[in-house]
Amino acid sequence: MLRITVDGTAYEVEEGLTLLQALDDLGVLMKGVDIPHYCWHPKLSIDGSCRMCQVEVEGVPKLQIACDTPVRDGMVVHTGNERVRKAREGVMELMLVNHPLDCPICDQAGECKLQDYAFDYGQMHTRTREPRRALKKRVDLGATIVFDQERCILCRRCVRFCREIPGTSELAITQRGDRSTVETFPGKPLENDYSMNVADICPVGALTTRDFRFKVRVWFLEEVPGICTGCSRGCNVHVGVADDQVRRYTPRRNDEVNDTWLCDYGRMTYQEIGAPDRISEPAVRGDAGQLVGTTLEQAVECAAQLMRTAVEKEGPGVVAALASAHATNEDLAALRGLLAALGSETHGVPIVTGPADALLIRPEKAANAEGARVAGFGEPGLLLDKIRGGGVRVLIVLGHDIIHEQFLGSPEALAALDGVILLDTHRSRLEQVAHVVIPARHLAEKGGTVTNFEGRVQAVPAALEPAFEAVAEAQVLARIASALDLSISDESERKRETD
Amino acid sequence: MVSVATRAAIDAEIAKMPEKRGALLAALRLVQAEYGYLPPEVMEEVAQIFGLHPTEVFEVVSFYNHFHVQPRGRHEVNVCTSLTCSLRGGRGLLRQLQAYLGVRAGQTTEDGRISLGHEECLGACGNAPMLRIDDTYHLDLDWVRTQQLLDGLE
Ligand code: SF4
Ligand code: SF4
Ligand code: FES
Repeated sequence: MLRITVDGTAYEVEEGLTLLQALDDLGVLMKGVDIPHYCWHPKLSIDGSCRMCQVEVEGVPKLQIACDTPVRDGMVVHTGNERVRKAREGVMELMLVNHPLDCPICDQAGECKLQDYAFDYGQMHTRTREPRRALKKRVDLGATIVFDQERCILCRRCVRFCREIPGTSELAITQRGDRSTVETFPGKPLENDYSMNVADICPVGALTTRDFRFKVRVWFLEEVPGICTGCSRGCNVHVGVADDQVRRYTPRRNDEVNDTWLCDYGRMTYQEIGAPDRISEPAVRGDAGQLVGTTLEQAVECAAQLMRTAVEKEGPGVVAALASAHATNEDLAALRGLLAALGSETHGVPIVTGPADALLIRPEKAANAEGARVAGFGEPGLLLDKIRGGGVRVLIVLGHDIIHEQFLGSPEALAALDGVILLDTHRSRLEQVAHVVIPARHLAEKGGTVTNFEGRVQAVPAALEPAFEAVAEAQVLARIASALDLSISDESERKRETD
Repeated sequence: MVSVATRAAIDAEIAKMPEKRGALLAALRLVQAEYGYLPPEVMEEVAQIFGLHPTEVFEVVSFYNHFHVQPRGRHEVNVCTSLTCSLRGGRGLLRQLQAYLGVRAGQTTEDGRISLGHEECLGACGNAPMLRIDDTYHLDLDWVRTQQLLDGLE
């Protein structure tokens, strides 16, 4: 370990790091030690091109760039004195020489580093009278990203990202001098599974996602911590909420899980939350065989009645449950609790799988696949055999993954049951065979814990209320239990503690 | 595909360099000499030879004025417009050329005969105004002489 002093405070840092890296590792960068920077990014190679991070190192005549200056034992650094301030003002002035300053129509306004630092270090007037470079305001780099040439400050973050993280290298800085710009290779658009991260890391409003651009001013967003539900990686996200709707997911840094990235697929799963096909009202199958809307109380009572009848006739063994890898650990514990209180041991969980990669994307396409396994839910094969053999009369189903082509493919196999009690977020053909349908909450609407593929239990709060009345699956299950005069609280409490 | 001869010449350039990519500029010059310009397929082939991403080659190609990604005219006519030449009429010469050929600097005449351009110091300040036609310098020009030169081009 080396000892360095920054603005009068001593720190122990690891050898071999640069000043910015060391301060970032200590968790003090921009949280106590403010060294403005554009081109440096904690997860990308060092570029040293923006010159914004200059600091004074005692004993070194010229100012040094903190992003590329290795720490030395006994190093004494000043990050905010007059000389450093002047240098930053100079850098800012040059950076703004060609900047269009169109903040009022720029999506980045409010979360723009150029804007932030211009407030701190910018001049209130411009000393140049030459025309600013006029370039294209709307270049489609690919299907997901739109590029504004005038706003680019040439930090090369986006270029380095594509070369170093997905390794696809679609972007280049072409031309030279004040004609430099970001371009794709002719005929090869920006197209990789992680493309939208370039909009997150672009320090200015040059790169925007086609999805979010011009949708909402960022200062109207409430950003709540969340977890992506796209796969069992469980990437950490900020859930951006405005007007009671989720408007975007952006990555929330977690070096143990997703660094500072999200895959494009996962990022877009926020759209599921406000999707038009959400199940928004409880329903029970009426006398005419149609699903009829009803209240939660009646749906719960109806579910309890189906279970009661089946247990009275043929014993608890004929009630079974299909869990969901989209449910939280709390929901799963409640389901286990209900089954245990009933005395049924028949259950399983369908986990849909798909393509994976070596970066983030995992094969299991649900956030809590591992949590479901830990809660004791196994492959659904045995349960399905039992259903086909007529050994199950009433089935509680969380979610509709069971009718995915990797499992049943269609709901028909469940049509002969006396009762199918469906707790689900989105409409599906499973409703065709359901006797009771109860709306469920999305993870962002209920919060809770999910366990990622490495066994990491991650807790998130609820980010918003659903647009309709719905309670979490755990609460629905608890209500069914109490309608049956069963108590499941012990089991679910016990589960929560061991999580 | 670059020809066998060009490929051999590229390999010879690579052999001179401590690091392979040091020979990239030389290789691009050789390949452009063969094709007349550097279309995307060719940049990709060069990238493959050097183990680079095509975008890295594209960056180099776009950096230098002498590399072209579009087909060029049969002849390059480039007027020097750096300070000394401009003081001695280089820019006026360029304007006259533009009017005479009906194209702007950076463009090629419709018959594909001439690509007109201007460039920075060609090192012939003492004989300004001057221009370069392909690999030949023409010095101490006036308009009559320039017209003759142009009309003499295939
Ligand atoms: S587009 Fe953004 S990230 Fe890319 S070089 Fe320009 S400013 Fe940097
Ligand atoms: S890798 Fe998985 S968890 Fe991460 S963003 Fe993609 S789908 Fe979501
Ligand atoms: S952050 Fe150090 S030079 Fe850009």
